[in-house]
Amino acid sequence: MDRHPTTGAMSEAELAQVLSQVRAGDNDAWGELYRRYAPAIFRFCRRLLPAREDAEDATTEIFMKVRQKLGTYDSSRPFTAWLYKVASNHCWDTLRRRRIRQDLETGDLDTLPLEHPDPSQLERLQTEHTSKEVRTGLAKLPDRARMALVLRYYADMSYDEIADTLGVRRAFVGVLLLRARHQLRDALSASGAGAERASAGGKS
Amino acid sequence: MSQFDDHFDEVTGLLFLERQLDESRAREVSAHLASCAACRELLHALESEGVWLRQALVAEDESIPAHLISAPERGGAHWGWIAAFGLGVGGAYTLWSGFIEPWIAQASQAGFTQGNVLTMLLFTGAFWKGWDAMRSLTEFLAVATLGTVAIWLLRRHWQRVTAIALVMGAIVCALALPPAAQAADVERGNPSYTLPAGQEVKTDLIVWAVRTRIDGDVDGDLIVWSQNVTVNGHVKGDILGWAQELRVNGTVDGNVRAWAQTLSLGGPVGKNVLALTGESYLDEKATVGGTMTMLAGTSELSGKVAGDLLVLSGDLSINGSLGRDATIRGGQLTIGPSAEIKGQTKYTGNRQPEISPGAKLGSPIDVTLRRPGPDYSHLAYYWHQVLFWGASFLFGLTLLLAAPAFFFDTSQASKRIGPALGFGALFMFAVPTVAIIVCFTIVGLGVGIATILLYAIAVYAAQVFVGAWLGEKLLGAGIGVGPAIGRLALGLGVLHVLLMLPYAGPLAGLIIRIWGLGALVLALHKQVRPQLAAA
Repeated sequence: MDRHPTTGAMSEAELAQVLSQVRAGDNDAWGELYRRYAPAIFRFCRRLLPAREDAEDATTEIFMKVRQKLGTYDSSRPFTAWLYKVASNHCWDTLRRRRIRQDLETGDLDTLPLEHPDPSQLERLQTEHTSKEVRTGLAKLPDRARMALVLRYYADMSYDEIADTLGVRRAFVGVLLLRARHQLRDALSASGAGAERASAGGKS
Repeated sequence: MSQFDDHFDEVTGLLFLERQLDESRAREVSAHLASCAACRELLHALESEGVWLRQALVAEDESIPAHLISAPERGGAHWGWIAAFGLGVGGAYTLWSGFIEPWIAQASQAGFTQGNVLTMLLFTGAFWKGWDAMRSLTEFLAVATLGTVAIWLLRRHWQRVTAIALVMGAIVCALALPPAAQAADVERGNPSYTLPAGQEVKTDLIVWAVRTRIDGDVDGDLIVWSQNVTVNGHVKGDILGWAQELRVNGTVDGNVRAWAQTLSLGGPVGKNVLALTGESYLDEKATVGGTMTMLAGTSELSGKVAGDLLVLSGDLSINGSLGRDATIRGGQLTIGPSAEIKGQTKYTGNRQPEISPGAKLGSPIDVTLRRPGPDYSHLAYYWHQVLFWGASFLFGLTLLLAAPAFFFDTSQASKRIGPALGFGALFMFAVPTVAIIVCFTIVGLGVGIATILLYAIAVYAAQVFVGAWLGEKLLGAGIGVGPAIGRLALGLGVLHVLLMLPYAGPLAGLIIRIWGLGALVLALHKQVRPQLAAA
């Protein structure tokens, strides 16, 4: 079952036909494919890249790449998994090029101890913060932590795919995800989001 | 006894929830959960956090922008490519009009009448006969451009196997191109080879041997790799020789191209002589019908050269006759009493030439003395450094605009100083060695030359990546292409100042090239690695 987010369902047979038509150069089929998947990819980019304009550019560029690389797509794999792989590689490359990753992201993760959470505090955090605040907190995380959370909980990527995209060992992905969760908890706790929530008017 | 009697840690809990634990460990966690309320509570909190995160991320908070609703069209030229093309054309024109054309004009004025100097030095005649079909570098570039466009148009249809097939096909084409290898008599000495007097080879003759002696005639070109070569017979084509000692006493109707420790010419050569040697001797009986071009440690010219003489030599002694002009750069020039130079003589060297009173000169020698090493007192030196900086910056800018991802990847790789220096040192010396070995197989000559040209470009590009790294070190990390341009300009500027330092400059230059080349190798490896893994 393909659980990757898309806009509008497309059956496997329908998708296979559209892909076949796109490969044959059918512009209408390409437009259809784009309309189905572009919104989800845009939101994916929006979660990862710092500015809306960056996400817009990235969406366009990702679909250009998709059209160029469609010949290399192995149809035995889910299309959306492949699509998110292309998108995540593109976004990761973009972030790397921009050089705004913190040095903390690499070596320190293995050694920094993780404080054992209080389950009740964890549940309180979830009830006190809106989705928008979570996304705001996410934007404050280091690139790799943000990438890990988005790849896992938005694009629904497997640990293998995350390890491959981020260039880390598979066994390290769990630690990476947990560390990212801790960083997000810290960011939300420090943001004083309760007051903002009161003025914004509740959860989304 | 379970290892989780004292509660499991948070990572284990997450891995359990996400079904990433192996079966036995998952059973242990399950067993512990059955009896531990605290861990059940933690697991529940982690699970609900996962759901909460997923909901927050998937929420459709923003609509897709209107201009993204229609699908992007492919085929539109990226502005970076257009800019790079324009810069490339401008740079090529500047290079041509500022450097190459004046040099060729100077060479033509000096009597090097073959027009295209590059063709004269590399591609004419027997050096590689396949180039005869191409006739000019322009045609070659046109073919290369068409090939690149064709590959670009077909790239969508490529499979990895196709790419491999293309590379193999290119190699096969390179092997098939040189007709010299097809219509030649190939001889391997065991260990020596001799073509006896009275015998004639009716086609080109290619020889590998420890010692080679040609007493008979060759009705074509003679191409020879040998420790010791003696040619007493008549060669109706060209001689192309790699040897420790190469001696030509017989008649050669074509050209002589020699890469040798010692070259001795004792007979008539109908056309031109090109010599890259430790020592070169033109005996009294020797004549050269065309021009003579020499890069040699020591040279003695006692014979007759009908055309021009172009020499880059440590010490040069002239006792023979030159029909036209001489352009000489070297350590010491001696013109003996029996020397005769009918044209003009230009000499650039460290010491005043020694000219015998008996020598006959068409005009007074134009002498330019230079001091060894950079001349810091002349403004021209600094102006040249500015030009070198400008050229490297233009090159880097073109690279940055044409392939920004690769540029940033390589600059990033420069940070890994240790691996970059290690790989750089390896490739700096290994690539030319391999390329030369490939050249020596004759059929791989095209591949070898292409490798050397690519290597030269890579070595030149090395400074760009180190410059970009240095600029970033000085100004801090920037975002996007714009700041990268400024950092590149600054970094290259600092590097060129560094290269101007006496004594330390050349050493710094070597380290920079090794470093940048290594970064390039690391970046290329990174580009290739995923494809190999997926293949």
